[in-house]
Order: sequence, then C-alpha cells, then structure tokens
Amino acid sequence: MTLDAQTTSGALLRERVSSHATRVKGFWTIYKGSRIGMVGVSLVLAFIIIAFVAPWLAPYHPRALVGTPFLPPTEEHLLGTDQVGRDIYSELLWGTRISLMVGLLASAFAVAIGTTIGLLSGYYRGPLDSVLMRITDLFITLPALPFMLILAALLGRNIWNIIFVIAITGWTGTARMVRSQTLSIKERPYVEAARSIGARGSQIVIRHILPNVFPLVFANAIIGIVDAILAESGISFLGLGDPTQPSWGMILYYANKAGALATGRWWFIIPPGVCIMLVAIGFAFSSYSLDQILNPRLRKRRW
Amino acid sequence: MGFKEYVGKRILQGIVTVMLAITLNFILFRIMPGDPTQAMVGDPRMDPETRIALIAKFGLDKPLLEQFVLYLYNLFSGELGVSFVQIGRPVMDIIFGRKLINTVILMGSSMFLAFALGIIVGVIAAWKHGTKVDMSSIVFSLVTYSMPVFWFGMLLLLLLSYYINVVPIAGTVTPGVAHANFFEYASDYLHHLIAPLITLAVSFFGGYFLFMRDTILDVFTEDYMLTARAKGLSDRKILFKHAMRNALLPMVSIMGVHLTFLISGATMTETVFSWDGLGRLIYDSVRDADYPVLQGIFLMMAILVVVASLCADITCAYLDPRIKEAAE
Repeated sequence: MTLDAQTTSGALLRERVSSHATRVKGFWTIYKGSRIGMVGVSLVLAFIIIAFVAPWLAPYHPRALVGTPFLPPTEEHLLGTDQVGRDIYSELLWGTRISLMVGLLASAFAVAIGTTIGLLSGYYRGPLDSVLMRITDLFITLPALPFMLILAALLGRNIWNIIFVIAITGWTGTARMVRSQTLSIKERPYVEAARSIGARGSQIVIRHILPNVFPLVFANAIIGIVDAILAESGISFLGLGDPTQPSWGMILYYANKAGALATGRWWFIIPPGVCIMLVAIGFAFSSYSLDQILNPRLRKRRW
Repeated sequence: MGFKEYVGKRILQGIVTVMLAITLNFILFRIMPGDPTQAMVGDPRMDPETRIALIAKFGLDKPLLEQFVLYLYNLFSGELGVSFVQIGRPVMDIIFGRKLINTVILMGSSMFLAFALGIIVGVIAAWKHGTKVDMSSIVFSLVTYSMPVFWFGMLLLLLLSYYINVVPIAGTVTPGVAHANFFEYASDYLHHLIAPLITLAVSFFGGYFLFMRDTILDVFTEDYMLTARAKGLSDRKILFKHAMRNALLPMVSIMGVHLTFLISGATMTETVFSWDGLGRLIYDSVRDADYPVLQGIFLMMAILVVVASLCADITCAYLDPRIKEAAE
C-alpha cells in the first residue's frame, strides 16, 4: 500500500470514528429529552452502582445467620431477618448482583442466538431458512415458563443453568425481527453493489447487514433484560432457583414457604418485590424511549 | 399466492411444527443424564407390576428408534401414560378434568378483561397522543409489565386478605363446606376468583394496551382515515368505526397466539393463590418429577398453539388480503 493510500484510509477511518461519535452524541441529545428514558437510565445506573458497592453497603454477609429467625425490622436489622435468621437488607443488596448478572447475560445470549439465526435465515433463504424458521416456530410453540421450569429441574438448580434456560427460550422474537430486517436490507443498492464487486456472503452479512440491524437488536436486548430478570425471579420463586445465591426471587420463595403472607410479615414480602420491579422498570423505561427514537415511524396524523 | 395456497402452506407448516414438538417432547425426557429409562419408570413410587407393564408398553428396553415408533403409536391412539404421583391415574384423565375447567375460567375471564380494557384505553391514549392521559397510561402499563406477577398477587393477598380480610387466602372454594345449591357454590367460587382475576388482568393489560395504542397510531396514518375525515364523519365515528375496526385485526391475531396462556400462563398466579388448575399441575409435576403428566401437558399445549395461530393467521388473511402477499 502506498503512503498516499494509507493517509486516505487513515482519514477515512478518522472520519468514520468521528461520524460515529457525532451519531452517539446526537442520539444522547434526543434521548435526554425523554423524561421516561432518563428515569429508566437513572434507575439502571443506581442498581449497577449498588451491585458494585454491595459488600461495603451491606451490614452483614448475605448468607450468614446473624439473628433469630423472623425478626421484624429493627435498627440492627433494617428489614428484619428471614426464616433462618439472615439479614434481609443485606440479602437484598447482594441480590442486585444476581438479578443484573442473570438479566444481562441471559438477554445477551438470547439476542446472540436470535441475531445469528435471523441473519442466516434472512440472507441465505432457501432450505436453511425453512429449517431455521420451523425451529423458531417450535420454540414459539413451547410454553415458555413450563419449559423453563422443566429444563431448570432437569439440569439442576444452579445460576448458569438458569441463565441458559432463559436464553434458550428467549431468542425467537429477535430471530424473526432480524430475519425480516435482513430481507429488506439485502435488497438495498449498497448491498447489491458490494455483491457485484465480489464480496462474500459472510462479509456482506457482517459488514453491511449486521450494523444496520444492530440498533433494533440493541433495543430488543434491553427489553429482553426485563423479561430475563422477571423470569429469574419467577423460577426462583417457584423453588427452582440457585439455593446458594441470595436472589430476590429466592427470598420471596422462602417468604411464601414460611407463611409470611398469613402472618403479615410485610418486610419479608414487599422489599424484594420492589427491588425486582424497580430494576425491571429501569430497563423497561429505557427500552421504551430507545424504541421511540430508533423506530420513528411517520406518525403524523394528516387530518 | 392465492388464498388456498396460503392456507395450504400454513397448514403444512403447522403439521411440521407439531411433529417437531412431538419429537422434542420424546427426546427431552430421554437425553437427560443417567439411565434414559429412569425418567420414565425409575420412580420408586411405582409398584413393580406397573413398571413392567410400562416398560412393555413404551418399549423402554428397546433401542431408541423403536421406542420412538412405539411412542408415536401410543400417542395417536390417545394413550399418554399414567401419572407417577397419582399412581395409576391416566394422564388424559388428570389433564382433561376439573383442573382444565378451573384454568380456563380464570384465564378466560382475566384475558377478556385485560383485552377489553387494553382496547378501550389504547384507543383513548392514541386519540390523545402526546397528552398527559397518553403518557400516564404508558407509564402505568410499563410499570405493570415490570412487576413480577406472583409478587403482585402476594401484595393483593397481603392487602385484601391479611389486612382487610375481604377475599379468601387460597383455593377455588372454601374447603370443607357443603354447598347447598349451585348458586351458593358459584358465589363461593367467584369470591375466590376475585384476587387471581385482578392479578392476571393487571399483568396482561400492559401488553395489550401498548400494542393497541401502537396499532391505532399506525392506522391514523392510513389514507382511508383521511378519506373518512374528508367525507365529513364525526371524530367518534372515525375513531370507533374506522380506526378501531382496522386495529382489531392485529389484536385478534396476537390474541390467537395468547390462547395458550389459557392453559399454561398462570403457573405462578395459580401457585400463589393455590388455584387448582393446570398451571399448578405443571408446577406440582415439575416438583414431583411427574414426567408423564408434563409430557402430556406439553403436547396438548403445542397442538393448541399451532392450531390457534393457524386459525388466527387464516382469519386475518381472509379478512385482509394484503397479509398473504406479505408472507411471501
């Protein structure tokens, strides 16, 4: 490569990076205007910070038996103790990590599976498309929660298995969306151009199609986090969670099992649910605003 | 593609999906670690004669392929095996009975309520696009979407049952009470239905509302809306006769897919309220490793989803010819 060509490609690269930066900046300017979006992002950030500083915030170790069981809230135990005498407040703080980890990882895996299948199906069409779409149909047909429960029960109660079962049941929406996007992007002139100069299929998919579906995939991934967090809490609530982790759903499982409802132990029931709800709201609000920005349909009423 | 070809193609796809589901159902309970026959007949609760009979019936000592053929044969003759837990009771009996009725009543009523409210509030929010009414309904629906269903149920019980004691804490009817007549039975049943009904309706509402609002907003941009306005129709007529009718089509098609919830969706709610339905049955069967029952429920649900979404698609294609063109 000549020096000249190098500078040109360097300039091109710089231009690309800077245009990318302006796009992100522009996006953020619009996003800031959405109050729902800002509430969402703040909630998410708050929980991320809590997850990191949990060891310093929590007065006790989440698994340590530090009091008599079923203590109501006191100064020593802000939210009382659970059925074996663990500090509920400390369990909640540590539970943030489990919830975020499961939510982020499960959604990331699900979206990765869905994007791969959608791209392959939409780009290559033909028999591969038929096979992949029938598999997608099959997974849509499977009742998600019972399927997750059965898999979780068969695989064993462990946090990685839970992430796996949530991911394996949660990719179908992304796959269908990516496929239909791919079908339309494939026909665009610049893809035709790339094909005519001899670009290989994999190159076209990775360099031209993937970047174009990415924004939508991203918005999908965020709402996927909400679903994953809720799914984890549900699986744990039904007693199939990882017993070694202080997850919010597990706390509610123990609360239900120990009859906290019939005895009115609200401190055992309300706080874990509020935590799950707030994290989920954070991601749901962010996803809603993201969708408004990324999918600006021409919504002008003409009358 | 003509209407007939479209229907034919969808039916074929549906059959393939059901066959895949049957195959997965067969594999799922046999690929698990350990002796594959363990899952089917390794249960210590089973007496030896039943075990031997089952092994013969499902050919569990034969190679996998032969087992699969036998499994298909049994399936098509309506034989789903017997429960491990309620020993000797056929799976068909357990599924198609009281539990199915309880679940259909609970899910049917709550889905209907959520669907109706979602449509009405969705139309209003779309009409008042961008106003306070619109924004607050969006926030409300996102918040309800973010609540764990079972936890909302627990909150309701804490409030309505523990603190003010207006609804019973569990069950479908008061245990141990001999109901004098059907009316008394029905009122007791309805009393028990209130809390789970509210829980599920609230949890379904958000999705229907957001979808309806979105669809109406799309319909607003269509040419025929402009035409309706040009004809000098009133706002009300435009909204309810033109916009709503056209938005109902996509709503009906998601409703079709959601029909499976009629059977499966309530596992958590039924568990919280001790509602004696199929959702609870799924939970109990998972907990007790009652695999034959689980297999039966799975299969029934797979068939139901396929048939329901097939019906929804065909109805929509019949009503709106543009759909089958888009399917190509």
